[in-house]
Amino acid sequence: MVIDAKEFWLPKHGSTDAEYEDASSIALKDFRFAIADGATEASFSGIWARQLVRAFTGKKFSLPFQLEELKPLQARWQTIVHRHPLPWYAEEKVSNGAFAAFLGLELSEENGADGLKRTWRASAAGDTCLVQIRGNEIQNAFPYKDSASFNNHPDLLGSTNIFNGTGEGLISHQTGTWGCDDVFFLMTDALACWFFKSVEQGQEPWNILRDLDTEAQGSFEDFVAGLRSANVMKNDDVTLVRVDILA
Amino acid sequence: MAYSAEISRGNPSCFVFLIDQSGSMADTFGAGEGNQKKADGVADAINRMLQNLVIKCAKEEGIRDYFHVAVIGYGAQVGPAFSGALAGKQIVPISEVGNSPARVEQRNKKVPDGAGGLVDQPVRFPIWFEPVANGGTPMGQALGQAKSIVENWIAQHPNCFPPIVINITDGEATDGDPTASADGIRNLKTSDGEVLLFNIHCSSQRTQPTVFPSSEAGLPDQYAQQLFRISSALPSGMAATARSESLNVTEGARGFVFNAGMVEVIKALDIGTRPSALR
Repeated sequence: MVIDAKEFWLPKHGSTDAEYEDASSIALKDFRFAIADGATEASFSGIWARQLVRAFTGKKFSLPFQLEELKPLQARWQTIVHRHPLPWYAEEKVSNGAFAAFLGLELSEENGADGLKRTWRASAAGDTCLVQIRGNEIQNAFPYKDSASFNNHPDLLGSTNIFNGTGEGLISHQTGTWGCDDVFFLMTDALACWFFKSVEQGQEPWNILRDLDTEAQGSFEDFVAGLRSANVMKNDDVTLVRVDILA
Repeated sequence: MAYSAEISRGNPSCFVFLIDQSGSMADTFGAGEGNQKKADGVADAINRMLQNLVIKCAKEEGIRDYFHVAVIGYGAQVGPAFSGALAGKQIVPISEVGNSPARVEQRNKKVPDGAGGLVDQPVRFPIWFEPVANGGTPMGQALGQAKSIVENWIAQHPNCFPPIVINITDGEATDGDPTASADGIRNLKTSDGEVLLFNIHCSSQRTQPTVFPSSEAGLPDQYAQQLFRISSALPSGMAATARSESLNVTEGARGFVFNAGMVEVIKALDIGTRPSALR
């Protein structure tokens, strides 16, 4: 399996790079890829999002991934946020925890009785999305399949378990098969919502994402700035992980 | 589409709270709230709402100025009602509010215990606003002050999410019909829509509250009907929030609560101060 994977990211317009609260991580040797979107309305969400993606690509999460596996990360998050004394409002906010949408993807290849078996497995919580393209068609979309699924209240992974409940229904899982020349896109919500809307309008947005950062398509920054100024993408942190299967 | 402007540090919005401090606010709430004076209950509700706003805007690096806030009291006097370091200030960025409470009390709040129950957790309860109950009800003057605050704000922030004015009162104005003053506020607009005026009427009677009605039919007297008429329609986003809080909100609902007890005051403040997603 020969893979090329690349991360693209941009903070909200009007925010600095330090205020960016999405996260992504790539582990090429383990064929693991992850993306997360820290909730703006919580604090220390960016740290939580980074913890999640690194834990996944560092193989600290199994697949299918279970809520129970968050515990060491939650303890670590508490340590990080309490390194310094907090003013009353920050203390109160921290007690509610941080939240993030999350999606992790793993590709594998095994020799079986019927020949080479190429599978992918993914776990997701919230509105970060995975789309698999084969040829010029969508092969799979997970967990959302259309733009109507997006709202401002997705179910997110919490850095405390207070709002995670039992976790039932919070994390969803999907498996599929992959082939050479497939492309996977892992997208945070603003980009994913634009992607599905474009598809619903009969367009083929995967061609744009495939060619990002080439002379033909231009830079990710220019592409996002164009969508924001045309009001077809909400002003949010934007992150894309593109996984190209080359052979 | 109106009421869809993003609220960001580059494009902040503002809240103006008008608090009735007339003598009758020393009476107790009607049903189900023990013997709490309306002035005490409203002060608690305003302090709690300010606290929630500050927390909403708090990030790891500090408080982001998504909002500026004015609190105007009206009773024996009409004017800014912050106490402590903010006393006398008319409109204050939310970061300054968060960093300058008059004092911080220790109280208990119920939090989920993760196993389906609730436990007491000590929390710091900042106080910015003290209960006052003295004098008449010069609502028209208070609305006039709100109008001038909002006018100045809009001149500087013409594209912001429209400012929200929330008036909490227990009765009729003693300085004449407030309709013209209220119309003056609601006729102000930004490029994102008209300024919103909501009214919360606190009751001493043991009667059923009317929350976000869509018609004045059923309101008992001309004063209630007048408050209904001067209240803005709830924008669709807030109506959806209200429905998600199990309130029966129908087409044409107004930002008006009649005969509110403490629960309704808190709920209405919460819904009225959740305009849209922060960026």
